[in-house]
Amino acid sequence: MISNFAYVRARSVAEAVKALGTKGARLHAGGTDLMGCMRDGIFEAQKVVSISGLKELKGVSARPDGGVKIGALTTIADIAADASLAGKYAVLTQAAAEVASPQLREQGTIGGNLCQRPRCWYFRGDFHCARKGGDMCYAAEGENQYHAILGGERCFYVHPSDTAVALVALQAGLTVAGPSGTKTVKVENFFVGPDKDILRENILAPDEIITAIVLPPIAGSVRSSYRKIRARRAWDFALASVGIVLQYEQETVSKARIVLGGVAPYPWRAAAAEKLLVGKKPDSAVAAAAAQAATEGADPLRDNGYKVEMVKGAVEESILALA
Amino acid sequence: MRTGEPYFAQTGAGAPAGQTGADLPPWGETRIVGKPLPRVDGYERASGTAVYVRDMALPGMLHGAIVRCPHANARVKNVDVSKAEKMPGVRAVITGQTPAAKIPWYSGDKGPTSWLFDAHCRHEGEEVAAVAADTPEQAQDAARAVSVEYEVLPFVVDHEKALEAGAPAVQEGGNRFGEPSVYQRGDVAAGFAAADAVIENTYHTPTVFHTAMEVHGSVVQWDGDRLTVWDTTQGVFNRRIELAQIFKMPLSSIRVVSLYMGGGFGSKLEVGKYTVIAALFARMTNRPVKIFLSREETFLCAGNRPANRIWLKAGVKKDGTLTALEARFSGPAGAYPSWDALSSYQISDLYLCPNVRTEEQNVFINAGKARPMRAPGFPACSWALEQTMDQLAAKLAMDPVELRLKNIPTVSQIEKNIPYTTTGLRQCIAEGAKTFGWSEARRGSRGDGHVRRGTGMAAGMWGWAGEPSAIVIVKLLADGSVNLNMGASDIGTGTKTVMAMVVSEELGVPLEKIAIEHADTATTQYAPDSGGSQITLVCAPAVRAAAAAVKAELLSLAAAELSQPAAALRLRDGAVEQTADGKRVPIADLKSLGERQLLIGVGRRAPHPAGKTALPFVAQFAEVEVNTRTGAVKVLRMVAAHDSGRAMSPLTYKNQVIGGFAQGLGLAISEQRVMDRQTGKVVNANWHDYKIPTALDVPTSHTCLPIDLHDTECNTTGAKGLGEPATIPSAAAIANAVCNAIGVRFFDGPITPARVLETLARKGA
Repeated sequence: MISNFAYVRARSVAEAVKALGTKGARLHAGGTDLMGCMRDGIFEAQKVVSISGLKELKGVSARPDGGVKIGALTTIADIAADASLAGKYAVLTQAAAEVASPQLREQGTIGGNLCQRPRCWYFRGDFHCARKGGDMCYAAEGENQYHAILGGERCFYVHPSDTAVALVALQAGLTVAGPSGTKTVKVENFFVGPDKDILRENILAPDEIITAIVLPPIAGSVRSSYRKIRARRAWDFALASVGIVLQYEQETVSKARIVLGGVAPYPWRAAAAEKLLVGKKPDSAVAAAAAQAATEGADPLRDNGYKVEMVKGAVEESILALA
Repeated sequence: MRTGEPYFAQTGAGAPAGQTGADLPPWGETRIVGKPLPRVDGYERASGTAVYVRDMALPGMLHGAIVRCPHANARVKNVDVSKAEKMPGVRAVITGQTPAAKIPWYSGDKGPTSWLFDAHCRHEGEEVAAVAADTPEQAQDAARAVSVEYEVLPFVVDHEKALEAGAPAVQEGGNRFGEPSVYQRGDVAAGFAAADAVIENTYHTPTVFHTAMEVHGSVVQWDGDRLTVWDTTQGVFNRRIELAQIFKMPLSSIRVVSLYMGGGFGSKLEVGKYTVIAALFARMTNRPVKIFLSREETFLCAGNRPANRIWLKAGVKKDGTLTALEARFSGPAGAYPSWDALSSYQISDLYLCPNVRTEEQNVFINAGKARPMRAPGFPACSWALEQTMDQLAAKLAMDPVELRLKNIPTVSQIEKNIPYTTTGLRQCIAEGAKTFGWSEARRGSRGDGHVRRGTGMAAGMWGWAGEPSAIVIVKLLADGSVNLNMGASDIGTGTKTVMAMVVSEELGVPLEKIAIEHADTATTQYAPDSGGSQITLVCAPAVRAAAAAVKAELLSLAAAELSQPAAALRLRDGAVEQTADGKRVPIADLKSLGERQLLIGVGRRAPHPAGKTALPFVAQFAEVEVNTRTGAVKVLRMVAAHDSGRAMSPLTYKNQVIGGFAQGLGLAISEQRVMDRQTGKVVNANWHDYKIPTALDVPTSHTCLPIDLHDTECNTTGAKGLGEPATIPSAAAIANAVCNAIGVRFFDGPITPARVLETLARKGA
């Protein structure tokens, strides 16, 4: 049950930023994660600042450079169904379609999807873990079948966002509004690993707001896809996922982005696998080699070693499906 | 489950035939029963106009919240409620020190083992204190403000480790809950010596949860010395008995009501601590009090189906005849004596086998107490037995269907060879296989890539014939409308619909003219719990007897009024009809009925037939697809062939079968309680981390195949139980199909992607 809080319905981004400047204020967009965190006592919110009424932050629009701007309040459902994104940015629409359940996709926003708190069951449960200011990560020696095989250090959560994987694969950028104006940042540089700061998952200050996602233009022959594997087929986060964007020159891959979800505290670029694909025709041998390389550096915990095989399977299936 | 227990009650024992319907012939061709008619309360349930207990708000009602122990095992040193008592809206606080709360709880063979608030909390979530306040939010805030000092104790949450030397003792007498329960017939050693093939393995099934859509709770009100409880319960009469014992009150002073229920699956078969706490608060404050558990609380304190460890050895002759079955079961009861949730019943009774020995040992661990869950013990037993049958078949190079068909009994071996009234086991297996296309599917390709297809089946039976006790009143009013007055809860299975159809069948009154009063101890008559797959076969015959009594009286009135012999009249569509010429007089036009205003029929359930047993049988078939690279298991289609006697209401019958299979699917591939080995706390006590199947996980093709054997020896409607059989073999059938697809057998469930990949990696290594 949610404890009492003050509520501010912001009429502009500037007003929201200002309201967020006070201690204990939390931003509300779709609310699908915020309300759950408050109900479960993951954090307290003295003040909830809602931007859900800001129409200027909603919708998908073309940019002069041929790219696309997606307002941060655009719902996951709208992105999944957007015809202008469907072909070129298939990795994103597919990722959006795999999020949660229809109800949550209708309510959840793309900005909020990137800012979700971890879904680690210790973090979400009645455990005072390191990420909540405690002194241990319970997952390190505990029940860690859903945890990180890559990039974990002191804390082994996996980033829950499907769309983040797609956006990193697309080399998307973010527009962020704050007290001193707006700035842009690559999605790839948005996330903060536990090695840098165990108390946060991204670079946003408490009074900063994502206002838009910017997709770069896509030129030439580009194929992309998102594959998500989970314990059940709806309303579930990824055990492992892979977002792939391949640029082709005839039958040969000229540029490759392979990004993994569900295996690390942030979308994980499988750089070795990308390198293996460039300049090659992705036949089954190449796909198998890239899959093998995708989990380079993986260091599984006691119960999550299966994710290494799962990632390989998903990467190989995805490359071959795009070929 | 222990067998041979006496029935709890026999409301029809010694009653005249007219009250039990013993003189009623079986139905011939039916007009209503067996037809696909929608639920009588479907609109209310789907539109939101049905008032569930959760929806209730009484004037001045307070809300309670419970303070729970966060540790797996701890002693309460001190409870400080001073801050909570001063919080806004708080009206009362109860702790273990409150004199009225000194109520014994969790009885075993030697009496109670605990208290309503026990100073020794033996599992996470155990009740420590409670708060009542004006609003649920205030109660919750105040509960958080109660400060409890604990001495944290060592714990054990693994039931196999609990039996090891040096394990922390959950109960003072040690971690064995009772002596091992042993069943034996013949000579298993001789049986194995005579076998041509033997299979011996150990199987594990996970602890899973009921997760009924409706969470548990009560609204309680005192009126002087009379207590009214609106409860989320599977049976108002047994809850009344429990409350009468707790509060030392006459049965007549307690009213328990449960008009709409959002599912139970066995977790609502005992009185909740929340109910008694609400009653204490209501007494203290002289106000109605409502307490509902949160979803998370239900995972800790509202029961579970415990894990099973099953060692099973089976011997078979070359021709497929079973020679011996030997098994040892163990599983966790939780921290307190619970329903004996292990069941080797099917090993002893499903297939012909002269030599059987089974042993069951329940174990205490520091976890929430087990409760019966949809076929207690049977799905786990199926998991082991039906996978064993497939392994025996493989060893003999025999088709699994053929092996099972070689071992069909016609008598109950566990009940000293008394006959079954009917057994459709052979038809379930044979006709199910035919409908599924078993032979073709088994010959078909499994695929040659990394995505493989496979088929599997499993048979099963349920071992409880029901408590043959129900008293029903049917009232025909002057305008030809009917009140059906029965005690049973409709927990979502369609009980009201089935019973209304029986009345309509007998009286020829359309369903929309039948109003139902039910599940209220003040206004309806005794019925057993809606559990154990018993309500249709127990209550429907009593309903039929009551309706038949009204019918007989109505026809005799009509005969006199119309100057026709009663035998020449019948009831159709709200009218008395002359069989010969179809001449009709609406019931409402009968003057003699108008004079009397009301005809009343009383029906009682007759005792079970002597010297026989009436049990339902099942065989389910599944086709699966397994991705060997991602570990994903997908069930593509299923066929469920059930001998549950007459299919009274085909639509709710199919609902039961689809729901039962979905629950079995969860057991097979995704559901399991996960407990943190460092703290003994449940890490997935919520609906996100605990993976019940979604609409996208169940197969797109469900074929429900009733083997429509009318068991008129069992009762006058010919129905047997269905709710539990629907889920008994489902998980085993899926496991057999997975094995058929990829050639790897999963002895331990659930078959998650992780387990598939780990097992394949081990095999490959």
